[in-house]
Amino acid sequence: MADIQLKGLSKRWGSFIGVKAMDLHIADGEFLVLLGPSGCGKTTTMRMIAGLEDATDGDILIGGARVNGLEPKDRDIAMVFQSYGLYPTMSVYENIRFPLKVRKIPQAEHHERVMRAATTVELTEFLDRKPAALSGGQRQRVALARAIVRKPKVFLMDEPLSNLDAKLRVSTRAQIKNLHHELKTTTIYVTHDQIEAMTLADRVVVMSKGVVQQVGTPLEIYDRPANTFVAGFIGNPAMNLLRGEIRGGVFEGRNVRIPGFSGAADGQVHLGFRAEDAAVAQAGEIAAPIYSLELLGDASMATVQAGESLVAIKAPKDFQGRIGEPLAAQIPASLCHLFDAQSGERLRWSAL
Amino acid sequence: MKHKTFLWFFLPSGMAMFLFIAMPIVSVLTQSVYAPHEQVIREVENCTLFGCSKATQIDQEATRALRDAEPMGRFVGPSIYTDRNHLAFAEIAGIWRNASGLGDFFGQVTNLPFYDALSFTLTYTALVTPLSLAFGLIIALAVNALPQLFRGPVIFVSLLPMIVTPLVGALILFWMIDARGVLGAALQALAGDPGLSIKASTPLMWTMLIVYGVWSSAPFAFVIYYAGLQTVPGDTLESAMIDGASRWERIRYVILPHLLPLTTFMALIKIMDNFRVFEPIVSFSAGAHAKSLSYFIYSDLGGETRLLSSAAATSVLTIAGIIVLISPVLVRTWHAFGRVRA
Amino acid sequence: MTTRVADRRPMILRVVMSSFLVLWLIVAAFPFLWTLWGSFKVEGDFFSKADWLNALTGPLTIAETGGSFTSSGYYGAWVQEEFWRAAMNSLTVVVCVVCISLTFGTLGGYALSRSPYRYAFWLLLISLVFRAMPPITLVSGYLLPFFEWNLWGHLPTAIIVLVAINQPFTLWMLTSFFRNIPKDLDESAMMDGCSRFQAFRHVIIPVMWPGVITTGLFSFLLAYNDFAVTAMLLSKENQTMIPKIASFLGTTQTKGNVMFAVSSVISVTAPLFLLVMFFQRQIVSGLTAGAVKG
Repeated sequence: MADIQLKGLSKRWGSFIGVKAMDLHIADGEFLVLLGPSGCGKTTTMRMIAGLEDATDGDILIGGARVNGLEPKDRDIAMVFQSYGLYPTMSVYENIRFPLKVRKIPQAEHHERVMRAATTVELTEFLDRKPAALSGGQRQRVALARAIVRKPKVFLMDEPLSNLDAKLRVSTRAQIKNLHHELKTTTIYVTHDQIEAMTLADRVVVMSKGVVQQVGTPLEIYDRPANTFVAGFIGNPAMNLLRGEIRGGVFEGRNVRIPGFSGAADGQVHLGFRAEDAAVAQAGEIAAPIYSLELLGDASMATVQAGESLVAIKAPKDFQGRIGEPLAAQIPASLCHLFDAQSGERLRWSAL
Repeated sequence: MKHKTFLWFFLPSGMAMFLFIAMPIVSVLTQSVYAPHEQVIREVENCTLFGCSKATQIDQEATRALRDAEPMGRFVGPSIYTDRNHLAFAEIAGIWRNASGLGDFFGQVTNLPFYDALSFTLTYTALVTPLSLAFGLIIALAVNALPQLFRGPVIFVSLLPMIVTPLVGALILFWMIDARGVLGAALQALAGDPGLSIKASTPLMWTMLIVYGVWSSAPFAFVIYYAGLQTVPGDTLESAMIDGASRWERIRYVILPHLLPLTTFMALIKIMDNFRVFEPIVSFSAGAHAKSLSYFIYSDLGGETRLLSSAAATSVLTIAGIIVLISPVLVRTWHAFGRVRA
Repeated sequence: MTTRVADRRPMILRVVMSSFLVLWLIVAAFPFLWTLWGSFKVEGDFFSKADWLNALTGPLTIAETGGSFTSSGYYGAWVQEEFWRAAMNSLTVVVCVVCISLTFGTLGGYALSRSPYRYAFWLLLISLVFRAMPPITLVSGYLLPFFEWNLWGHLPTAIIVLVAINQPFTLWMLTSFFRNIPKDLDESAMMDGCSRFQAFRHVIIPVMWPGVITTGLFSFLLAYNDFAVTAMLLSKENQTMIPKIASFLGTTQTKGNVMFAVSSVISVTAPLFLLVMFFQRQIVSGLTAGAVKG
């Protein structure tokens, strides 16, 4: 059990920047998710914490002690890999036991600890099998069992669910959540899937191009994205973003006119709002031709062409419309977000 | 992997290569600029009753002392490289002045020992490499058309010429083409000349060596092409069929491009292997008709008088030669690597 | 199994292909069968001036020995000329070369496959250049120092030289095998508490056996088939099989000596036959391992 501190952590390969001056404190027992598109530096960050990659600059502290120079084996960390990294020549039992063996934990304890770990992840009937004879989900559970068999200070998980099919992903996700609740071990979890991030995390770190974009609880990230990147990355569909201009408290863009931004300064901005916050009406702030119409089941998703941008609007499932016909929707200023046109940073205005 | 760990892992292999590949290169370079000491000659006066006479004799002791003191020999600079047995600048200049035409010039130049060996080595490499690749491809296409059941045994038989010891494989062929052997007799019957002997004719000897080369290298090309044919992308092949490509067009536009990288790889390996052609010349006792660079070095090294300096100079020239031959590949690999990194 | 319409080949093409293949099989196999058969005849039949059919029927063999087959060539080579000594030497050399090559090669190849740095690439490129050098050029570099330091003529010298000459090839092959083993495997071993070397020994090597065996086969072939190094670096009493055969040829004047060479050629080839028979799959996969990675 330990907290983790990253101070000015950086990774460079020649002129390529993998991670740029990252500062982060992960509390003891916290479940932290690193979220971002591929190549954003999330896996590199995790590998530096694990000791599989050397940091170019900055410090990593685990439980208050600096671990930069330590080998992975001396950091007391367990990791679950994307492709699980199971040892194909060993049985499931031997796989789970391996960390105990190489760490010279007394023989007498092995059996009991392996069995306890195997029971936790419901693997007891497969202990004699080789990994090749297991299904994807079972392999994933072997990797989990191997991680929990010795109680490490920290768990690292590198996209552990990405090789599973959709149904299995949901159940394993719940299992991981439950496991964390039981063991209360500090966990860092890397994923590009925002649903995993939202469901699992105590806090989410959104990264892009090696830079931390926002740190916050899932709800904060969803409700108050710090910049246009986070706004455009989180949510399904992602937040609608429209270019336009504020003049005298009124936002104006192509096919869109929203009054009510009383405290906002005049100038070019990005306006953002979520599809579910807009409501189809006879007349409203948005009036644009329909580009496509998709039935989701519980609702319909109408996409309209506002200038050069496509704007998604959630409509009732019985909504009738044709491509090309005009559609009007209401979106009050209080549900809108404003971002700086140049930097993309969130703008504060008095209504919020 | 950290630098230090890497060093420890790589050390044994690196040391072996450093000591027994890199150092010998230094060794041949130095040896090639030193010649053996000449024997120390001493003048002695033999006096008898009838007067004194002077005679020269070899001072064994002094000679041995000199050789022990400087085992490398005496420094002679690049003179070994330019002597008659190597690059032969003076001789070539002479031939250039006196030759009646270009053909005559080249004819005379290739009579010089080094150029003789070089011309055979290059001819052998230039013919055997493409021929064995082409043969291998045809065999691979033919085997690929066979039912699965026959493929195993066919591959087994096809591997034999490649796997057999070169010296031994060449001997087996050599005995068969001997005037008293089965192939030799067949050739005599075919040519209608009972006196025909491959051993006695330079062009026939060259041909036989090249035939041996293709015989022993084709299996390698076959195996690699065969494996390549197993991985031809089925989707691309099927979409080519649907697009209306004929059998030949499918080979031309799908299969051959797929095999192209393999061809480059094999050409590289085969150029290296063919350039060192050596054992078949020993087996065929072909030294009188065909010498390769390797054989040239071997004959300098062997025998009673080991001509170490001469062998060293030829070795340096040979190494330079193979590096020039494979340099296009080296440069390309280097560029490709640069792109990956950038 | 019926072929689908799209794969059907025209008749002529099939005939041409099949006859070419039959021809190739004869070319590939016939020399071995012929020599095997002939090795049990006397020289007068193997090299028959009168009629090539004599090599098959063997009238002189019957006349000289009373039977249609004779093992006098084998007896002469193995017992009289002490070919068994050369065979023992070959065995020593080959076993040592294979073991040492593989030890050095797996360590080095593993390091090369796991290092992200530029020097790993340079080392591979340099060893490609080393691979290109004819062994005889290196031999001419060994002789003088080996004479000076009294290293010439001994088996261990030839062994370490062959190991070194094998290294570039071994490294290339093993590096490409190691690259096919996911990095996740050694990384999870290191997370589980292994040092780099422990991860290599406990986790990677057990997975690598097929690749190690294949590479070992090629090391075996390189050492077994070598002539340039063993002929030049070994004294007469330490000679291995291949230079020994060559020395039979130097004295062909003596009647019957050629048959010694013929019988020892068959003796040398027999193990290679068995090797191909048992390890055909590994040899094929080994040849392609390098090519696929290119």
